[in-house]
Amino acid sequence: MSADPLQVLASAGKGESTRGLLRVIILLLIAAAAIASRLFSVIRFESIIHEFDPWFNFRATKYLVANGFYNFWDWFDDRTWHPLGRVTGGTLYPGLMVTSGIIYHALRALTIPVDIRNICVLLAPACSGLTAVATYLLTNEMTPSPSAGLLAALFMGIAPGYISRSVAGSYDNEAIAIFLLVFTFYLWIKALKQGSMLWGALCALFYGYMVASWGGYAFITCLLPLHAFVLICMGRYSTRLYVSYTTWYALGTLASMQIPFVGFLPVKTSEHMPALGIFGFLQLLAFLDYVRAAMPSRQFQTFLWMFAGGTFGLSLLGLVLATSAGVIAPWGGRFYSLWDTSYAKIHIPIIASVSEHQPTAWPAFFFDLNMLIWLFPVGVYLCFQELADEHVFIVVYAVFGSYFAGVMVRLMLTLTPVVCVAAAIAVSTLLDTYLRAKLPKPEEIQAAEASEGKKGAKSGLKSTSKPVVGVYAIWGKSMMVSALAVYLLIFVLHCTWVTSNAYSSPSVVLASRLPDGSQHIIDDYREAYQWLRQNTREDAKIMSWWDYGYQIGGMADRPTLVDNNTWNNTHIATVGKAMSSSEEVSYPIMRQHEVDYVLVVFGGLLGYSGDDINKFLWMVRIAEGIWPEEISERSFFTPRGEYRVDGEATEAMKNSLMYKMSYYNYNNLFPPGKAMDRMRNSLLPEVGPTLSTLDEAFTSENWIIRIYKVKDLDNLGRDHTSAAAFDRGHKKAKKASKKRGPRRLRVD
Amino acid sequence: MRSLLSLFSLLAFLFAAAVSALSTSGNRLLVILDDVAEKESYSKFLGDLESRGFQLSFESPKSESLALFHLGERRYDHVVFFPTKTKGLGPNLTPNILVDFMNANGNVLVTLTSGTAAPNSLVSLLTELEIQLPADRTNLVVDHFHYDAASAADTHDVLLLPPPTSVRPDIKNYFGAGAGKDDVLAFPRGVGAALGASELLTPILRAPRTAYSYNPKEQAEVVDDVFAAGEQLSLVSAFQARNSARLTLVGAAEMLQDKWFDVEVTKAGANKAAKTFNREFAKRVSGWTFNEIGVLRVNWIEHHLNEAGGNNESNPTIYRIKNDVKYTISLSEYVWTTWSLFTVPANDALQLEFSMLSPFHRLALTPSAAYTSAGESESGYSATFKLPDQHGIFNFKINYKRPFVSNVEEKNTVSVRHMAHDEWPRSFVISGAWPWITGVGVTVAGWLGFCALWMYSAPVGGKRAGSKKTQ
Repeated sequence: MSADPLQVLASAGKGESTRGLLRVIILLLIAAAAIASRLFSVIRFESIIHEFDPWFNFRATKYLVANGFYNFWDWFDDRTWHPLGRVTGGTLYPGLMVTSGIIYHALRALTIPVDIRNICVLLAPACSGLTAVATYLLTNEMTPSPSAGLLAALFMGIAPGYISRSVAGSYDNEAIAIFLLVFTFYLWIKALKQGSMLWGALCALFYGYMVASWGGYAFITCLLPLHAFVLICMGRYSTRLYVSYTTWYALGTLASMQIPFVGFLPVKTSEHMPALGIFGFLQLLAFLDYVRAAMPSRQFQTFLWMFAGGTFGLSLLGLVLATSAGVIAPWGGRFYSLWDTSYAKIHIPIIASVSEHQPTAWPAFFFDLNMLIWLFPVGVYLCFQELADEHVFIVVYAVFGSYFAGVMVRLMLTLTPVVCVAAAIAVSTLLDTYLRAKLPKPEEIQAAEASEGKKGAKSGLKSTSKPVVGVYAIWGKSMMVSALAVYLLIFVLHCTWVTSNAYSSPSVVLASRLPDGSQHIIDDYREAYQWLRQNTREDAKIMSWWDYGYQIGGMADRPTLVDNNTWNNTHIATVGKAMSSSEEVSYPIMRQHEVDYVLVVFGGLLGYSGDDINKFLWMVRIAEGIWPEEISERSFFTPRGEYRVDGEATEAMKNSLMYKMSYYNYNNLFPPGKAMDRMRNSLLPEVGPTLSTLDEAFTSENWIIRIYKVKDLDNLGRDHTSAAAFDRGHKKAKKASKKRGPRRLRVD
Repeated sequence: MRSLLSLFSLLAFLFAAAVSALSTSGNRLLVILDDVAEKESYSKFLGDLESRGFQLSFESPKSESLALFHLGERRYDHVVFFPTKTKGLGPNLTPNILVDFMNANGNVLVTLTSGTAAPNSLVSLLTELEIQLPADRTNLVVDHFHYDAASAADTHDVLLLPPPTSVRPDIKNYFGAGAGKDDVLAFPRGVGAALGASELLTPILRAPRTAYSYNPKEQAEVVDDVFAAGEQLSLVSAFQARNSARLTLVGAAEMLQDKWFDVEVTKAGANKAAKTFNREFAKRVSGWTFNEIGVLRVNWIEHHLNEAGGNNESNPTIYRIKNDVKYTISLSEYVWTTWSLFTVPANDALQLEFSMLSPFHRLALTPSAAYTSAGESESGYSATFKLPDQHGIFNFKINYKRPFVSNVEEKNTVSVRHMAHDEWPRSFVISGAWPWITGVGVTVAGWLGFCALWMYSAPVGGKRAGSKKTQ
C-alpha cells in the first residue's frame, strides 16, 4: 500500500500538482485507515465509553455541555470524594472536554444533532487521523524524501502503541494530547529552522493547548529545552534558536499558567526549571554573542565563555539551594519513580498500585511497535548521518522517549511518534535507494551491474552515502523491495490483529467465548451500576475501592468516597482501612463518612482476575502507610508467607471486611464443603463468614459485583453483633450479669 | 428538602389522626390479659385511657386471632401487658415480633407483679434493652422504712414513695410535677428492675435508699445474694428507642388497680392517712408511653444566606466558603391534647452542629421571637454564623436526644463550594498588588517608548544590520 504511490508516482507524470493531489489523497486515505482501524470496539460492542478515566471525562463533558463553560470552570463537584468534594474545575485538564464541547456546539449550529456520547466516543479516532497528518508534516521536516512523511503517517495511523490509547470509546486526555504533542514538535522544528517568531508563537499556542489537555505536557516542557541545550553544547547557538525558543517559552509559559490546575507550577516546580534555566541561559548567550560581535578579541571571548559557564553553574547551584530550601517544590513522586522504578513501591504505594505505572516488559515493545522497533535505531542512525538541528531533535527525543517508555508502560505512548518518524526515515531511505536507481550517471550504472546485487542489499544503508555501490540489478532491487513490502504487509496484519484482540475491549463489558465458539458478553458491571441507579437514593454514598469511583459516578450517578483521581492519599487509605479491618473498626469509619452502600468486585465464581481480593494487598499497603500501628501487611500472610483465602487464611484476612463481603453467602452456591474460589483455586472453609453491620443488597449475575447496604445503628441501642445474634434466635443469657463479676452500677 | 416535605406530610397525616385520638401516634391500644374478666380490677385506669380517646382491644395471649402485624403493617399502635400466669406468650408475641413492633414505632407498656413470673418473651425483650429482672418469680421489693402501715404493717412490701423528681436538672419533670407535698405513691408488691448502662434507659421511679429486693420464699435469716438494692432498683423504668418508640416497665401492676387509686395509706411512723397519687401517676406514665406528652415535632427547618445583597433563596443546596448563614428550626411539643410551644429547659441547650466528618461549628440555638407564631404553638430557634473556610459537603445537624423527650435528629446536607474565579477581589483593590501593577505599566510604557525611539531615530550607518550575523 505504501509502496504503491511511489510506483504510481514513478510512472505518472512528474507534475507538481499531480504529486500534490496524490499526496493529499494518500494522506486522506491514511487518516481514514487510522480512524477505521479504531472502530473495532464500536462494531463489536456498542458506542460506549471505555475503562475508568474516560468515564470521568465523559461526565465532565456532559456537565460542560449542560452548564456552560464558566460553570464548568468553577465546578465544585459534591458527588465525588464525599464528604470533601472536589474542586473539579481547578483540578482537571479541560482541553479534552472543551474540544468535545466545541465540536458539539459547532455541529448543533450546523443543525446536526449528535449525541454528546457519540462525539466523546469518536473523538479519539478522529484525532488519530489528525495525528497521522501531523506526523507527515513533522517527518517532512526531517528528510527531503516525500515518501518518508507518508510512511510515517501510515505507521502513526496504525501503530498499536498509539492505538492502545485511542480506540473509539477511549475518551482520555491522551486521545487529543498525542496529536498536540506531534503537532507542537512540528511547529517547534518549523520555528527553529526558520528562526521565525510566527512559528514560535504558533508552537506556544499549541503548547498551551497541550497543557490544557494532558499532564504529559511536561514531556514537551523538558524536551524542547533539552534540545536547545544540546544544540548549544554542540556549538550551534544561533539567532534562530534564540528567537524560536524565547518566543515559545515566554508565550507558552503564559499560556500554560492560564490553566487553573497548572497555575504557578511553571515557576515553582522542578519539572519546569530546565525550561526556565535554558531561557535565562539563552539570554546570556545572546548578550555575549552581541558583545563578542562588538569586540572581536579572542581572549575576551574566552573570558566571556568562562563567564557564561560560570553563570550557568551558579544558577544551577542556586536552583539546588532553592529546592532544598523549599522555595521550589522538589520533584513529585511520579517523577522519582521515573528514575528509580522501585521508588514508588516503597514510598508511594498508590502510584505503584496502578498497573500502567509498572516498568515495561520487553515483549511489550515488539507487541506495540512490531517491526518499527528494529527500524527505529536505523532511522536514528540516519539522522546522525545528516545531523542538522532538526535531526538532533529526533536523536534527543529518541533517547529520552526510549528511556521513559522503558520505565513506565504508559509512556510507550510518547515514544511511538518518534519511532514512527525514525522508522519511516529508514524505510523510505531504503526504498529510495533501491527504487531510484537511475540517479547515477550511465558509466556508474555499468560499474554497478558488474558487481553483485546481493552484496549491495546487505550494505543497503551505506549506499545512501555512497550511491556508487552496485545495487542496480533488477532482481536485487526487486528482492529488497518485495522483502520490505512483505514486512510492511505483516506489520499491517500485526497492527490489525493487536488492535482487534488486545485494545478494543471496553473493560466495562467483558467478552468471553462459549464452548461452541460463540461470543458471550458478561455485563455484570453495568447490571450493578444500573441497579444502583434505580434502587438507591440519589444521594446514597457508595464506598468502593478507588478503581470503580469514576464508573460509579458516570454510570450509576451516585456519590463516591474515592475515585481514580487519586489526589488524596489519606482518604483512599481511609477506605483501605475500612476494607481491611474488622467490622467493629470499619463500621464507625463508614458511619462517619455517611456510607450507604459498599461495592466490591469478586471474581471467585467466574475466575475474573481483576477483582478486589487480588487488589486487596494494595488496600492494606496504602492503609498501612497512614496507620502503621493498626494495619499490618504481614498479618495478611500466613506464617509461611502465603497469601491465602481458604481455611488457612490468617485471622486478619478472615475478619477483614473485604474478605467477608467477597465470600458472604458464597457457600450456598455449592454443596457443603465444596465451595471453590475459581480465581485463586482454593477450597473455601465450610462455614462462610457472617456479617452483622452490613446487609447484602445486590449480587450481579456472575457474582462479579456485590453490593452491601450499611445498617443503621440498632434501634434498641444494642451493638450489631448481638442484634444480629438476636435476630438469628440466640437469646442473651438471663443471668449474664451474675457471672461477669461485680455489676456496673448505673449513675444518673 | 425532600425529607422535610415528607415530614410535613407525615405530620399533617398525624394531625388528622389526632382529631379523634389524642395521642400523636394513633389510638389503637391492645391490652393483653390472661382473662378478660381481669380488666374489671383496672377499670379506672382503662376508663381513663378510653376517655382520652384510645380504642381498647382485649386479647388473651392464647388467642389465635392475636397478631401485632397484618400484612406487614402494625394492627395496633400501643400494647399494654398485664401480668399473665402463663410462662410463654405464644407464637404471636415472640421477642422478635415485639422488637419488630418497636422498630415499627409501636409503644409498649409492661406491668409486672411479684408472685407471677414474667413471661419468657418479655424477659428476653427486656434483656435486649438491658433491663435485668430478678431470676425468681417471687422476688419482691421491700423497704422497712417506707411502707404502708395500713395494709402491709408486717410484710413491708407496699412501698410509699414521694412522687418522682427530675432525674437530671436539665430535664423537665413529666411525672411528678405539680404533686402536693403530702402526695404519696403506693407501690404494692412490686418487682424492681436493674438497669444497664444503655443511654436509652431512664428510671422514672427509683426505689428509696433503704429498699431492697429479695425472695421471701427463701427461708434464710440473712439475704446474702441481693439482686439489687437502693437506688439501683428501678421501680418504674422508661426506654425510648432511637426511633422514639417507647417502652415503660411498671414493676407493680397493682399500682394501676382501682383499689390503689382510692385507698387511703398511712406512712410508717406517721399518723395521718393520705390519698395516693397513683391515678395521676398512672395517667402520666401511660400518657408518656403512648405519646401524649414529651413528644417533639420539627415543624420546619430553614436556612438561608444572611448577607446584604445576597440571594434570598430558602434552603439552597450550595453555599460558598465564608458565607454568612442563618439557620432556623421550628419545634413544637405535644402536651396531652395540643401542640404547644417547646421551651428548652433552663440548664439545657439546643445545639446546632455544622459538620463535615467532625463539627466545624457547634452553636447553641437561641429562641427567636420572629419565628414564634402560628397560634403560639411553634417556637423558632435560630443561629447565625459564618461558614468555615473549607469546601466540602457539610451537614446542618440537630441532635437533641434527652430522656423522656422524643428524639430530634435532623440532618440537612449542603455543599460548600470554593470561591469562583470571579469572586476574588480585583487586583487593583489589593494594595499589595500595586507595585506589580505599576511594574507592568512601566514595562509597557517603556517598551512603547523604546519602539518609538527606535522607529523615529535614523540609523547612523548601513553596517549596523550586517554586524549581527556573526556567529
